[in-house]
Amino acid sequence: MKTDTQKPDKKPPGVFSLLKPYMGLVSLLLLFALLSNGVNLWLPKIIANGIDDYTKQHFVFGDIIKKFSLAVLIIFIFGYLQTIIQTYASERVARDLRQKLADKISRQSHAFIEKANPAKLLTNLTADVDSIKLFVSQALVSIVSSLFIIIGASILLFTINWKLALAVVMIIPIIGGTFFYVLKNVRALFIKSRGVIDQLNKVINESILGAALVRVINSQQLEYHKFLEANTEAKRYGLKILSFFAGLIPIVTFTANMAALTILMMGGHFVINGSMSLGSFAAFNSYLSLLIFPIFVLGFMSNLIAQASASFTRISVVLDAPDIVDGGTLKETLRGDVELGDVSLIYGQKPALKNVSLSVAAGSKIAIIGPTAAGKTQLLYLLTNLIKPTSGYVHYDGRSIDSYDSESFHSQVGFVFQDSIIFNMSIRENIAFSDTVTDESLEKAIETAELRDFIDGLPDKLNTVVSERGSSLSGGQKQRIMLARALAVNPKVLLLDDFTARVDTNTEKKILTNIQKNYPGLTLISVTQKIASVEHYDQILLLTQGEIVARGVHEELMRSSPDYVQIFNSQQSTSNYEHGVAH
Amino acid sequence: MNYDLNKLSQTQQKTSTLAGLRKLLQLIAHEKKVLLLALLAILTNSSLNLLGPLVIGHTIDKYVQHKDYSGVIHNAVILLCMYLLALFTSYNQTKLMGGVSQRMLFTLRNSIFNKLQQLPVSFFNQNKAGDLISRVNNDTDKLNQFFSQSLMQFIGNISIMVGAGVFLLLIKFELGAATLAPAVLILILTLALSPWIKRKNARNLKSVGGMSSEIQESLHNFKVIIAFNRRDYFRKRFDTANRDNYKTAIGSGLANSVFVPVYGLFASIAQLIVLAFGIYLITIGQFSIGLLVSYLSYSTNFYNPLRQLAALWTNFQLAMAGWDRISQILSLETDLPVIENGIAESNVALLEFRNVYFGYNEDQEILHNVCLKLEQGKTYALVGPTGGGKTTTASLIARLYDPSKGLVMLDGRDIRTYSAEERTQKIGFILQEPFLFTGTVKDNILYGNDLYKDHTNEQLEKVIVDANLGSLLAIFESGLDTQVLSSGDSISLGQKQLIAFMRAVLRNPQILILDEATANIDTITEQLLSDILNKLPDTTTRVIIAHRLNTIENADEIFFVNSGEVSRAGSLNDAMDMLLQGKRVS
Repeated sequence: MKTDTQKPDKKPPGVFSLLKPYMGLVSLLLLFALLSNGVNLWLPKIIANGIDDYTKQHFVFGDIIKKFSLAVLIIFIFGYLQTIIQTYASERVARDLRQKLADKISRQSHAFIEKANPAKLLTNLTADVDSIKLFVSQALVSIVSSLFIIIGASILLFTINWKLALAVVMIIPIIGGTFFYVLKNVRALFIKSRGVIDQLNKVINESILGAALVRVINSQQLEYHKFLEANTEAKRYGLKILSFFAGLIPIVTFTANMAALTILMMGGHFVINGSMSLGSFAAFNSYLSLLIFPIFVLGFMSNLIAQASASFTRISVVLDAPDIVDGGTLKETLRGDVELGDVSLIYGQKPALKNVSLSVAAGSKIAIIGPTAAGKTQLLYLLTNLIKPTSGYVHYDGRSIDSYDSESFHSQVGFVFQDSIIFNMSIRENIAFSDTVTDESLEKAIETAELRDFIDGLPDKLNTVVSERGSSLSGGQKQRIMLARALAVNPKVLLLDDFTARVDTNTEKKILTNIQKNYPGLTLISVTQKIASVEHYDQILLLTQGEIVARGVHEELMRSSPDYVQIFNSQQSTSNYEHGVAH
Repeated sequence: MNYDLNKLSQTQQKTSTLAGLRKLLQLIAHEKKVLLLALLAILTNSSLNLLGPLVIGHTIDKYVQHKDYSGVIHNAVILLCMYLLALFTSYNQTKLMGGVSQRMLFTLRNSIFNKLQQLPVSFFNQNKAGDLISRVNNDTDKLNQFFSQSLMQFIGNISIMVGAGVFLLLIKFELGAATLAPAVLILILTLALSPWIKRKNARNLKSVGGMSSEIQESLHNFKVIIAFNRRDYFRKRFDTANRDNYKTAIGSGLANSVFVPVYGLFASIAQLIVLAFGIYLITIGQFSIGLLVSYLSYSTNFYNPLRQLAALWTNFQLAMAGWDRISQILSLETDLPVIENGIAESNVALLEFRNVYFGYNEDQEILHNVCLKLEQGKTYALVGPTGGGKTTTASLIARLYDPSKGLVMLDGRDIRTYSAEERTQKIGFILQEPFLFTGTVKDNILYGNDLYKDHTNEQLEKVIVDANLGSLLAIFESGLDTQVLSSGDSISLGQKQLIAFMRAVLRNPQILILDEATANIDTITEQLLSDILNKLPDTTTRVIIAHRLNTIENADEIFFVNSGEVSRAGSLNDAMDMLLQGKRVS
């Protein structure tokens, strides 16, 4: 019996270690649980005494009621305290664990988040924490009080009549064994069905995020079939698990009924031959019903513990991840010299950048052009320390990017991402995203990004909340908000990733002029498709398949690089045309 | 139409638990036969379970007290037979009921998903993706837990409870009534507190939804958080959501557990009543010791399930709160119904806007009185400043929305008379933000394409080459088998746009709309795309929205879209002038 019921305790040392800081709360919880359960064990005894007293004809009515009422009251009070503490303890554990996880995640690198997969981290923070919460709120108390009741009731049974007790206690290993067998099988099925549910959720998520595409292509039916397949699979597992449970409960009930039958036959025999009182006989029946429920509970709780420890293992992977070494301490104002030395970057299996070297003098403007998938965006990520080069170095003002204090560094380097990332909050918060932004620099950024008219036209001006994924804004508006966000930190270096792609030519010209005027001395590194916008830049790099194949000013490249000329020609008509308009 | 679920839940009147339950039960209305069988099994099983204590009580009175052991054996054999029969009925009860609930869950999931597929784009624009995902995943999971675990216990417990109650009243009415009296108090208390509990739980569910959309938004955009050094922002926002969640969770936790000790208390009181009143009845000769033992069993049989019902009731409330949020989605209807066939006009443009007005919400009109005609086989360009209404115009062509006033005519018929299938076959739309499904490039190119779906890689490659798309495929490292992820930076935005382009072209639509579909593609590849567009069948009409003018220089006609008005520009020169002089209103 011991081996069976105590097994769950030994399995997950991890989850239990989580409780250490809450020792006070947990001990209080267990104390109350044990007190109320202990008194609970006393009840059948009181009833048995009552019946015996009655048969022996010296029954004191008031006495038994007093005892019984006292016991009931104690159980109630301690039971109540227990549930309150239970709620507080479990919620506090959940809250603190979430906090710890969020703190940890917030200190991680971009690469870590991408690798850990945001969807998985979301599960860590929600479902996994919930199963640990359930463990604290239910499993902990249930296990301790169940064990207590099983042992306590057994002892009491033995004191009444050891022969009959022996016969009754026999059911514990039988029921325990059945539970062990069924739950072992069910747990394996649960894990598999979890995988199916994940698949189900993936289909749901993609169909929500890709809702517009699904409607444009009219592939609702296709999505529905994908879903149906996963859902049918989920149903199949549900039914499989069900068959196990359908068998479990009847067997357990039957075993318990057999115990009742034993009590009747053996106990009846003992009462008839006078070796047991009628009251004790009744008490045996009461204790039997007290005994069965905790065995059930232990079985189910072992399941909860298994789930909680699986969740805890997943959470621990995140919690135990090494912190990124934030060794940088330099807080000096950047001049704006940028240098890349022989940088290579391997992304997954393939090299994204191969031996790239470049240097940009403070205050100059350089452009990086090149075909799709050439590694341009990765180059910008390197320059903002979002990713680290596999080999080579990135220097700002002649010092490694890692030697700068990250806060000071990021407040001097502005980055306009290629994809529109708008948060579900007010435009003001979206632009003044860093806490170093003053009202003055906010205004300057808005003017420069040509957002003034747009914002003035909104009902709540700067305080208008823009919806998630920015679906209520046009592509160009989103891009300009992103630009304002980067400019609002008053950067010394501005990185633009294909900024002009979604902004019309007229606005683009105005914005670039604004930047020159409002942010003099800014080092500008612009990834772009349009040669026309960057012809006058101090340096143009042509990046193809991770390598710089040509560099120089426009005129030089026109003479020396056939690739560049090809790109130039592909834009020829427009370029000519735009010049015609501009001059 | 208003699809904002959070706003809807404020205006919609709260449905009662019973009404919600009735709606839920409609989902299993067709399983009447199985339900009847299950009911039979449940009833037999409970009666057998309940007869047990009676037989035991009878044995005590008749045989044990009179020292007749053969009688004890006789009754024991009867009990054994009853227990064996119960073994069988109990198995079937679970199996049948569980089957029903699993199938119900299956139907329910299907109907939610089906509904999601029917709802228009506006629904997805008005609700946060994180919140929707939480609704569909977590709330169905709550229902799942209830149906797969709690429901059977629920029914089993209720039947035992009712049976025990009946026996208590039948054997000795006064004692039975006295024993059941505390239960009435519990019932009243439960009814009084249940709206409060439901409210607490609903509040908690809402804050959970808020927290997960908070996390989702931050994690997906983590690079911005890093680049702008706002890790503290993430922590702060999460901290607020977490604290809020803690508060509501404590509230709902306390509300949910309020009954457990109370039920225990009342159960004990009932035992005390049986004991005191029973012994009193025995002393006046109206009751027997054996029956007293049976009664103690019955009161346990009655109150123990009740205690479990308290826990199950919580699950039930949780499930109903989830069901509430789900049925909110289920009750929505698409605002883009297919209407009856109108009369087809002949000799008309392929597509025409007739005095079209449109706004995403009622107070803000985006398009004002737009008229335009698109002829078959021509190339049109929509140019104009950002926020002028280009994407909106394109969305109306594809009927992602209906105009608030005016008509969109496709091939001489109101566009609303086409079935979605017909319409989407005619109109291809490459969206501004390309979306990919997790899978291979092939999966994504063939997404929703019935024509080529069974093609092998070789066959498909041939199709792609024939459609002049071969050079685009070469950009992907492992060709058709290149793996892509729905989220994250596994491939560049430009590559995503190429996939979206191939996907749309292979569907061979009559009208192909490109909404800045090539914005992040380099100019050389873009020239390839432009060649491909030119080589499309003569009958294909192209509608191109772009900022890069070289992509539109070959257009047959140019529309200038600004502040919700669409005007024809005679030439590229005119359009340029308009663009340069045009005052941006947005």
